[in-house]
Amino acid sequence: MSLKDIIDYVRAEGADYCDIRKERWDSTNLTLKDGEIDKVTSGKEEGAMVRVLYDNGWGNVGISDLEDLKGTADRAIWMAKSNSKYKKEETGMADVETHEESIEMSMEENFLDVSIEEKVSFLKDLEKQLNEDFVRSTELRYGDGIVDKEIATSDGTHVKMKIPRIVTYLIVIGKSDTIQRASEGIGATGGYEVTERAYDKKDVVLQRLKTLLKAETPPSGKMPLIMDPHLTGVFSHEAFGHAAEGDLVSTGNSCLEGKIGEDVASDIVTIKDDPTMNGYGSFPFDDEGTKAKNRILVENGVLNDFILDRENAWKLDMSPNGGARAEDFRVKPLVRMSNTIMEPGDMSFDELLDEVDKGVYAKSSGGGQVNTGEGTFQFNAQEAYLIKDGEIEKPLRDVSFNGFTLETLQNITGITEEMETGIGHCGKGQTAPVTDGGANVLISEVTVGGRE
Amino acid sequence: MNEDIVESVKKAVEIIDKKGFDGDVFGIKSRNISYSIKKGELSDSSEYQDNGLGIRIIKDGKVGFGYCTPGDEEKGVKIAEELSAVSESIDLRLPEKNDTPEPKTHDKKIVESSLEGKGAKFTQDVIEGAKSLEEDIIPTRGGLAISIGTKVLGNTNDVFLKQKGTAISASVLTTIPGKDTSINASESRFSRKMDLDFKDVGKSAAEKVDSLRESSEIPKGKVPVVMNPDAFGMLMWFGIVPAIDGENIRKGKSVYEGRKGEQVASENLLMKDDPTKDWGIGSGPFDDEGVPSEETSIIKDGRLKRFIYDLEEAKKSDTESTANGMRGGFKNPPEITDRNIVLRGEGKDKDDLLPDDGILVDGVMGAHTLNPASGDFSVVATPAWLVENGEIKGKVEGAMISGNLPETLKSIELADDYKKSYESIGSREIKMDLPSARFNDITVSGN
Repeated sequence: MSLKDIIDYVRAEGADYCDIRKERWDSTNLTLKDGEIDKVTSGKEEGAMVRVLYDNGWGNVGISDLEDLKGTADRAIWMAKSNSKYKKEETGMADVETHEESIEMSMEENFLDVSIEEKVSFLKDLEKQLNEDFVRSTELRYGDGIVDKEIATSDGTHVKMKIPRIVTYLIVIGKSDTIQRASEGIGATGGYEVTERAYDKKDVVLQRLKTLLKAETPPSGKMPLIMDPHLTGVFSHEAFGHAAEGDLVSTGNSCLEGKIGEDVASDIVTIKDDPTMNGYGSFPFDDEGTKAKNRILVENGVLNDFILDRENAWKLDMSPNGGARAEDFRVKPLVRMSNTIMEPGDMSFDELLDEVDKGVYAKSSGGGQVNTGEGTFQFNAQEAYLIKDGEIEKPLRDVSFNGFTLETLQNITGITEEMETGIGHCGKGQTAPVTDGGANVLISEVTVGGRE
Repeated sequence: MNEDIVESVKKAVEIIDKKGFDGDVFGIKSRNISYSIKKGELSDSSEYQDNGLGIRIIKDGKVGFGYCTPGDEEKGVKIAEELSAVSESIDLRLPEKNDTPEPKTHDKKIVESSLEGKGAKFTQDVIEGAKSLEEDIIPTRGGLAISIGTKVLGNTNDVFLKQKGTAISASVLTTIPGKDTSINASESRFSRKMDLDFKDVGKSAAEKVDSLRESSEIPKGKVPVVMNPDAFGMLMWFGIVPAIDGENIRKGKSVYEGRKGEQVASENLLMKDDPTKDWGIGSGPFDDEGVPSEETSIIKDGRLKRFIYDLEEAKKSDTESTANGMRGGFKNPPEITDRNIVLRGEGKDKDDLLPDDGILVDGVMGAHTLNPASGDFSVVATPAWLVENGEIKGKVEGAMISGNLPETLKSIELADDYKKSYESIGSREIKMDLPSARFNDITVSGN
């Protein structure tokens, strides 16, 4: 049976909505530890997910046996019917333009045509360039994967797309009185040509590790903090972006609920989430078959939009904007970000520094976490410096800072001109490849945690 | 496509054998059902059936790894063989036939419940429990997950092992809506047998959020901190588990490197990894490389005794595998992984652990930002309460707690309220079975 036949069958059973997402994956992963190949894996798999909405109840079934799509659909119908008995609140799918299209995202150099030997020598060559006396251990990871997706919905959308993604991580570890670690990654929706960019990161991780090895523990308390472009990106993604996810807004778990049109940040702040720009989180259609588009979430401090799939758009009476992403065919799509950017401003870095008497310059993310409902966040910087009287004084390690998202967005008092992006794997029960970025940003007051 | 996983593993091992290589094949067939809670209601349920093979080939001492779905065994073996060509030769030896322990890991009642579709009712119980306390408390998000699976491991030394396992977990986030921001608290529980009290999961989360209505000032400086099992578990997993990993020891990436035999914790502290325990989170008769499970004492009487190893690292470190080679799914090669970290100490009553003045912490934000190489941490305690004159008072907001986790073990005091904590991050699983703990060497800072 074709996908369309299955959908017709489910509709004939009385379902209000149905979609099927069929995927075929081909991936390779390599890990080089201290110059030697540690793990090398590759594989192919395929599967599909059928989602059925019946009388406000959902049933979602994922399967790796493509020959039993009808049986899978039957199971999804049964689950949706069972769940509808417990549902009092109405739900639905907001209307979208339907599409019948096939898109292949391009690779300048197809990584499927590159031999495993060549991928290994790329990592080994890169590793050789990390050979410094203060480096005690290195770990390099390479991954490529291409997914071939076909999505059909009961509204008439039928899209096919091929999305290739490639990533390389560099991790260096050194030891002085403590053990320190520095890491950087490059990644994109693209082909093997992206690996060239990994060489740009070697000096960054080496310099960072060298600095960390002589760094001191930070002061603690409230103070001004400058985030570098990478940390600005992670802040925009974690602290703001998650709170702008429609599913969290519609369930009462976002501090941005009911604030469309209101001032939520200082008027120099504009944040977008754009799957159509060139990034690690790019895609032509989301996993409900909705065409991807740029979402301006905050414009000059005013909350403008949320990231929305069709169901949450229906609940919030807004327009879907391609926000549904699923890790693979095993799981249902969730509302997810793609490439999240805080737009650059017009100041120079020296002008930002001049604003700070005593504070911290925090660079590159060492991870973070948020509570979107309470509107709180916590971040770690990989690398940091103490600022005194507008001058960078000395390096710091293990700097973390936290605060209230809305208060912190209002406390942004300066943004520089130059923009950079970084990559990450966002976790929300499922993993999604993402890009985030921005410029250097001054927060006039935030709580810095330290051991002093 | 629908071949039985046992037959598929056997077939793949035969193909490897015929080619004259060594190798092992790891098969998983599982059924995973989950129910979601959204805004006080059961919103949807999802199910997926996983079915796949991880194939490891050792050709001329070099290891290659491929994966495929049953029916594609020839292709999977071919991929693994091709990849082995680029590996380093480590002359890995796979386990021979041996006796394995038989810890309980499979509860028929979980299987029956899933077949009868009882998950929806259990989820409803969680929701009801959460709504039972006060009208303004809403179970905004959460859910229930049931997993039933079979693991099969075969190798070219005629080892053929099979394990059936079940697991059930429930979690809920309760919310008191506010004008600008809301108050949140969550509760989650995990078990491998049908013994969870679903209503109580909801009720506990409701009680927790209800206790967060009033605020207190954050006490600052070196203040005694008591952590509930989930918060303690997160810190231990990110701070101590990497330090006992055999590879990190060999490569000098652990604070415990070269310190075997040294006093690293208070004298009465025992830390072990015990996958032979009945119903343990990571229990099973064998690890994902076919090594019979065993109990490993890591810290005994406060002294550092042993680290954890998989086959490959054991070979490189010239020691034996401690049955800690786990795969986290058929697509991943084995990695050194903790299975059931258990801590034993004096085991005081939780109330006796509370300080006269300090804070009580139920969760930490940012545990994954802990420096795994040094054990230094700086995380936000949330939710957390002020403890004054030995009594739990209002919540403290934005309290940051920092210290060095390995150092804190020297003065840590443990309670006896053990809880299984489980969380999955990507393909890695955080599995801890810990009590509450009191730290006397942590700095508290904040607004």
